[in-house]
Amino acid sequence: MSTTVADLHDHHDDHGPAKGIGRWLFSTNHKDIGTMYLIFSLVMFFVGGAMAMVIRSELAIPGLQFVHPEFYNSMTTMHALIMIFGGVMPAFVGLANWMIPLMIGAPDMALPRMNNWSFWILPVAFGILLSTLFMPGGAPAGGWTMYPPLVLQTGDAFPYLIFSIHLMGISSIMGAINVIVTIINMRAPEMTLLKMPMFVWTWLITAYLLIAVMPVLAGAVTMLLTDQFFGTSFFLAAGGGDPVMFQHIFWFFGHPEVYIMILPAFGVVSEIIPTFSRKKLFGHDSMVYAAASIAFLSFIVWAHHMFTVGMPLSGQLFFMFATMLIAVPTGVKVFNWVATMWRGAMTFETPMLFSLAFVFLFTIGGFSGLMLAAAPADIQYHDTYFVVAHFHYVLVPGSIFAIMAAVYYWLPKWTGHMYNETLGKAHFWASTIFVNLTFFPMHFLGLAGMPRRIPDYSTQFTDFNTVASIGAIGFGLSQLILVWVILTAWKGAKATDRVWEGSHGLEWTVPSPAPYHTFETPPKARIANEAFE
Amino acid sequence: MNDAERKKGIRRTALIVGAIALAFYIGFIMIGVLRS
Repeated sequence: MSTTVADLHDHHDDHGPAKGIGRWLFSTNHKDIGTMYLIFSLVMFFVGGAMAMVIRSELAIPGLQFVHPEFYNSMTTMHALIMIFGGVMPAFVGLANWMIPLMIGAPDMALPRMNNWSFWILPVAFGILLSTLFMPGGAPAGGWTMYPPLVLQTGDAFPYLIFSIHLMGISSIMGAINVIVTIINMRAPEMTLLKMPMFVWTWLITAYLLIAVMPVLAGAVTMLLTDQFFGTSFFLAAGGGDPVMFQHIFWFFGHPEVYIMILPAFGVVSEIIPTFSRKKLFGHDSMVYAAASIAFLSFIVWAHHMFTVGMPLSGQLFFMFATMLIAVPTGVKVFNWVATMWRGAMTFETPMLFSLAFVFLFTIGGFSGLMLAAAPADIQYHDTYFVVAHFHYVLVPGSIFAIMAAVYYWLPKWTGHMYNETLGKAHFWASTIFVNLTFFPMHFLGLAGMPRRIPDYSTQFTDFNTVASIGAIGFGLSQLILVWVILTAWKGAKATDRVWEGSHGLEWTVPSPAPYHTFETPPKARIANEAFE
Repeated sequence: MNDAERKKGIRRTALIVGAIALAFYIGFIMIGVLRS
């Protein structure tokens, strides 16, 4: 029988953290587990970032410089898998672990032992995935999308790839179950669903997306495994199977996955902009409905990733218009963020700077997404650097900037000290300049016809590639500032409980740093109401 | 809501959500079986 937080707190009322390594190995505390998720994702960002440096170094000038083309393909494949499943997703799960119980007035996550499992499966999964770099035949090199029949040519790494994907899926599903169960059952009295903060709302919707699509990915890779080792022909044309079916199943997972990585970012930005505008979030309820609409639409647009496989005109039209429809609820969100700032008493601390950059730069990624949604144009853009530019704009100054904003926003609540604001701003400006230097030229490269996933290119693409490589190295080095800010976070001035003048919500009613146990008795209805009215 | 009710709610929600996840896993493999 599963263990609930109510069971644990029946028996362990008045204790602090355990001593030594046991505190981390066996922790059931949401703050400890949140911290572990965040540290893990930071490490993975640097591992995936190192792979990006290999890619950009190779592409800095035409010709083959540093790596064998097969290894280059491994780098693009592993970079994507690590950044998506090891970087962005665990970072948001870490933020959810730390902040959801604090924001809804719960003592912990509802299923704390499962929470421990969710985290500790991850280092095992990525240990297995990274070990494939040292295997005969090398690491997976067929792209993160794992399309058959190409992926079936992977060497000894293939079963390890499949196993690690299964483990990542199990971890994500358990994390999502925990988030849903916590939010549904553990809210403070009087906190109705529509009074929940936007970060909690976006995470609830994200968790439902995870529950629906991670098993689909698991099913797809299970079928790949049986095709390779057990004589089935799900995707093998020679045996009567259909390789295009893999693409349909993969993207039924893959497109909602995009929103899994961006909805919590919307939630973070919806917390930060009102704080530094000293106003309530404009249109809270419409933000909830917009997030739910985006989640619903994400299930009916998957084939826009595969217009070039050949599909009936009616199919192209459906997926094109359904995709364009997503711009409507997304536009509602951008409008509401701008309306929140309108006539607000704005200040520009680091979390706000990252949030503002998010709104502006994510919107650029959204616009290029609209261009890609147009089926006739997509036939031209498909598999070019335009696509690389598009999804990096959505994920780097989109998801990752929101993660950085969240870290700066809540760091004083976690450590009890203010971070170094000057260094924070230096980190912001360096990141913003270099991220644009890296990814904006890729639009031009793609429109000029440079294909993605190649280690060499025609000489007419040289200048923009050199600029992108300089930007990438600058962006990578800029992240060392963030590491320094985090390492020295305990040296700053003492943080107040509320930390930011304009902040609202239950998380700001507990001391800074947040005690090991919080809300062991639910907050009074009056406090919960004041925090959210 | 008392502790017993909360525990019951937690277990019920976890089972429902877990069952949905399992249904998607098996369902999509069944689609593969039926189409191949």
